[in-house]
Formats: sequence, structure tokens, C-alpha cells
Amino acid sequence: MTAAMLNILSHETPVIVQGITGRMGRTHAALMRAYGTNIVGGTSTRTDIPDAAGVPVFASCRDAVLATGAAASVAMAPPMETLAAVEEALAAGIQLIVTVAEGIPLHDAMRIGRAVRRAGATWIGGSTPGVAIPGEIKLGFLPDVCLRPGPFAIMSKSGTLSYEVGFRLAHEHLGQSIWVGVGGDSVKGVRFADLLPVFFADPRTHAIILVGEVGGSEEEECADALKRLGMRKPLYALIAGREAKEGVSMGHAGALVMGDAGTLASKTHRLTAAGARVFASIEALTQACMHDFSVLRT
Amino acid sequence: MLLIEVDGKTLLAEHGVTVPAGRLVTDATIGDLPGDGPWMVKAQVPVGGRGKAGGVVRCASRTDVAAAVARLLGARLKGHQVNGCLVEQVANGEERYLALMVDAASYGLRVIYSTAGGVDIEQSGAAQGLPCAPHPGAVAEALAELIADEPEPLRDHIATVGRKLADMMIARELALAEINPLFVCSAGCIAGDAKLVVDLGAVERQSRIAALIEARPDTYADAVRKLREGFDYVEMDPDGEIGLLTTGAGLSMMLIDELAARGMKPLNFCDIRTGQMRGSPARVMRVLEWITSRPSLRAVLVNIFAGITDLAEFGALLATGMEQTPTLRVPVVARLVGRGAADARRILAERQPEMFVTEDLEEAMRRIETIVRVSS
Repeated sequence: MTAAMLNILSHETPVIVQGITGRMGRTHAALMRAYGTNIVGGTSTRTDIPDAAGVPVFASCRDAVLATGAAASVAMAPPMETLAAVEEALAAGIQLIVTVAEGIPLHDAMRIGRAVRRAGATWIGGSTPGVAIPGEIKLGFLPDVCLRPGPFAIMSKSGTLSYEVGFRLAHEHLGQSIWVGVGGDSVKGVRFADLLPVFFADPRTHAIILVGEVGGSEEEECADALKRLGMRKPLYALIAGREAKEGVSMGHAGALVMGDAGTLASKTHRLTAAGARVFASIEALTQACMHDFSVLRT
Repeated sequence: MLLIEVDGKTLLAEHGVTVPAGRLVTDATIGDLPGDGPWMVKAQVPVGGRGKAGGVVRCASRTDVAAAVARLLGARLKGHQVNGCLVEQVANGEERYLALMVDAASYGLRVIYSTAGGVDIEQSGAAQGLPCAPHPGAVAEALAELIADEPEPLRDHIATVGRKLADMMIARELALAEINPLFVCSAGCIAGDAKLVVDLGAVERQSRIAALIEARPDTYADAVRKLREGFDYVEMDPDGEIGLLTTGAGLSMMLIDELAARGMKPLNFCDIRTGQMRGSPARVMRVLEWITSRPSLRAVLVNIFAGITDLAEFGALLATGMEQTPTLRVPVVARLVGRGAADARRILAERQPEMFVTEDLEEAMRRIETIVRVSS
């Protein structure tokens, strides 16, 4: 998955919201606008509604892109309708799509991934609160109270656990250069390893915070990428699920441990061997970040 | 979610893969056994490594079967209660490993095959497999390459099983279909085990999978709850002391880890999804009902980080839920932070004056620790 779109995001990037007349769509379009995101329109099957959240409503992504030049989309579609929403966005030429739905069927996610890859676009999600460059743009619903411009690039499978980390650091005047919720699904768009080159190349980023979970192999892949690329910026990791119950998805579809696969021990070992620092508690991680980067408070 | 073996084998058989003659035994009267011995007695819990954990026993006589069943039923294996044992005729043949899994990074499947089947295959690293497109033809091609060194007629038998597995994987939208061991001999193949991971996100359009889950509400209690209630609640330890009423999967998991690291015993995992409560205390009441049904409960920890949710509304729903749960007799500690936290604190101070409310998670955990220490 390419993460190419992420480092050119700004407050000027034109964004549409798919499903803008729904309860979620309306609410979050308004909140994103209030944050400063350049929401230029939305799509809906409700063609009788001319505008929502102060922007025009279009019948299709194609119409929306033709009229507004939108480059990015936030799809507020239910899980079963996310595949169709992404296909529509890609056909209209959208280059970055954020899908927030939780519980996108796995085999649909494979189709989404293949379609996005063919189109050379960037996909964030599912089960994600979205992505933000604090002070510039927010796509999705990362809470404003956690967002603050600063030195850390955050990448996270979990919304809430990353909020907790971001919130505590922001409280100490340590903010974020970029925040990407890669999401809690196993088959997803941008993965941890895809983001390392983006964060390394970003001059605003001084250090990386990885918020992972048991299940899957993303943390291990990220460790391999870290070894390959060299640790050009320090990486701090927090991984939830040491006590996870085997064979059962812990809320997130991707958080499934079976046998020795996907365990905390495996992830901690690989990341540590690659030079990352892995912490056992939120407090330990945030204290280390505060200690090491207190000079970068803003 | 991982299906228990007996359900995995039912699906395999429905898709044309041969499985040993077997019977699910759920009480000590073991009844008729399939065929003559020897038999395998296998605890039906959705975990890997059952053999090493003592959950799989080879038995030569009916007496041995009865003893193994009596020992396993009701026991806990890797966090799961054993509600049933599969008693099967022992299958014969050379052991192989065959698996199809969703390969998340390539948006395709991965075919894994090894001539060394058995319990140590996952650790041995011998089975890397080949990625392929998510289509039966691509699976067949990849498998053909992996089994090129197998002699006929084994190669042909294995290829046939591979085709059936691929059809099932795609038709049933599975995440994993693993057979280990796959017994092979000149007469054909028999699936010695079945590890099938289903996608709960697709259950809505997978009626067969839905039926399998609904048929075993005790075994798949966590999944049934999720499908019926629309949010996540996983019981971690029926003898747990701390009930969690929390939102967010990652944060809830981390809380469990941190509480356990401090020597406490969390009862459950919970992602109540405050954003979907829509002004009703129903979810709060459900969670409190499940938590308080366990006599070992000593305290309840509420943790809500409200990005979007209005905590004033949640605070009122929490108070209502508590008032309407007469079984709640332990202290409740609430950590509420975010939008409307001050209003929530005021509402709760009025309606639940004994409740400890804070914005600081570390303080909330310390408070829980104090309560548990004092009451023990």
C-alpha cells in the first residue's frame, strides 16, 4: 500500500465526505470543517438535500470531484457498503480515502486493497478514527483535545489507546507532527511498515510512537522495515493485549491470538531487536517520551 | 473468531473434505463410540496448541475414553471452559500440514504446505508457503508448486483437498482454513484436525456460519453477545474481581494488561461504544448485569475517553443504569475525561454520591487497587 498522499496533506487539500447526509456524516463533516479541514462537498443518495454541514451535496463522487476538484475522501459508509463506496471514489479519481467503518468484511477488504493498489491511491482504515496533521487537517474523528502540533508521529491500531497517549503528551505540551490511525482490522490500507519512510522523510517528525495490539504481524513487519531502513528516528512502542484471550477477537477483528502467532512476546521481541523501545504501560511510554523530548515542548 | 474443531470439521465435510468418524460428547455418559478403537478424545476449545496443553488424548479402550472425557469436561484450557469433547476414530496415514490463510499484506491468500505435519509445525518455520490471488485457480497453481515432490497418487489427493479448501475459504469468507495433520495415504486424505477462523464482519451474509455460532451460545458466548448486542464484551476470567465498563478496544485491552500487571484480576474486556448508545442506558445495564453475575466481583472500573460523546449524557445514563441494576453491590470507580466531563461529575455527585469520579486514569487504577486490597 502506498502512503504517498500523506506527506502532501495540508489545510488546502480538498476533501469530500461520502454519506454526508447521514447522522455520522453530518456531524463529522461539521467537526472536520471546524478543525480547519477543507471540506468541499459530500455525496449522498438523498438528492433532495442540496447541502449538509455547509457544503454542497452531490449524487456521486464523480459529480463531486468534477465540481470541486476533491483529492481526498472520508467514507462514512456502513461496513457492508464500504467496498462500493471505495470503488466509487477510486473511479472518480480520489487519491486518498479514509474508511472509518468497523467490521468491514475481510474478503471485501481484500477487494478494496486490490482496487486501491491498482489505482495507485492511498487507503487508511477500516476501524480507524482517521488521520490528522495537527493545525492543518483532520480526516475522520480524532478528538481535538488530543491534537496539538509537535514532534511525534503517532501510528496506531487503536483509536482510544492512541487518544490516551496523545492526550497525556499534549497535556505536557508535546504534540504530533502527524497522526495516522491505521485501524484495528487485519486487512487494511496503510500498515505500520508503510509509514516508516513517510515519518523518516518528514522534517516535522522527531520521533515515532507506535501503538499496536496483539494479532496479525504488522508490528513484526514494522520491525523488519526498521532494520532494513535503519532507525533514523527513535521509535517508542506500546502494545496492548498481553492478557488477550486466545481464539477470540478482542473487539478489533485483527486482535486475534492463536498459539504463538500474533502474541505480545513475539512483537516485543522483534521490535526490541530492531532497536525500538517497547513499554508495558501507558504511563511508562509517556514518561519516556516526556523525558527524552522535553526540549521540544511547544 | 476460531471455530471449535467439531464445527470446523462439519464445514469441511460439507465442502467435500473427508473427516474421521466422530461424536461430540458433552456429558460423562459417553454413549456409543464411533467404530472400534483406538480413539482420540479432543477438548473442544477454540485455541491452538491443545495437544501440548493436555487437551488431546489417545485412548485404547472405552474405559480410557470415559476417564479422559471425565477429566476434560468442565476443565479450563487456555482461558476457555471445555463444554464438549470430540471422540474420534484414530486416522492413519502420513502426516502433512495444509493451510490457506488471508495474507493481509498482499490482499490475497497464502497457501502453506509442509511434509512435516504435527504439533511443532508453527514453531519450526518450515512452512512459509506461497502468496496467491484470492481465486481457486491461483490457489491450485500455488499448491501444485508446493506439492511437486509428493509421489502420485498422494499429490493428486492433496490437490483435490486443496481445491475444496479454496472453494470453502472463498464461499464462506474465512480468514484461515488449516488442516494439521492432514493424513495422506494411497486411498485418499483425511483431515485430522480443523482450524477455521470465521469473519464476524461477514456473518450477516453468511447464514451457515451464523447458524453454527447460534447453535452453541455457551461455546461462542463472546461472539453471540457481539452479534446480538452490537458491542464487544469478552469474559476473561469468571473468577475475576474487577469488572470493566469501558469504551475502546485497544484501551480496554491495555487496562486489562495494566491491572493484571499490578496483581489484580480483571473479569472482562469491554468496548461499549458510547457513540452508539443513542440516549439509552440499555448497554450500561447489560454490562452491569453480566459483571455482577459473577460472585467474585469486588469493584467496577468505568473508563470513558470521550472524543465525540457528550459525557454529561453518558453520566446520566450511567447513573440510570446503576440505579436500575439492583445486583450492583460493589464500589464503582469512574474515570471520565473529555467533552462534558465537569457536567458528568456534577450529575454523578448528585445521583451516585458514593461513586469515585476522576479524570486521571492512573488515579482510578490506584483507587481500584486500594478497594481490592481492603476487601481481600
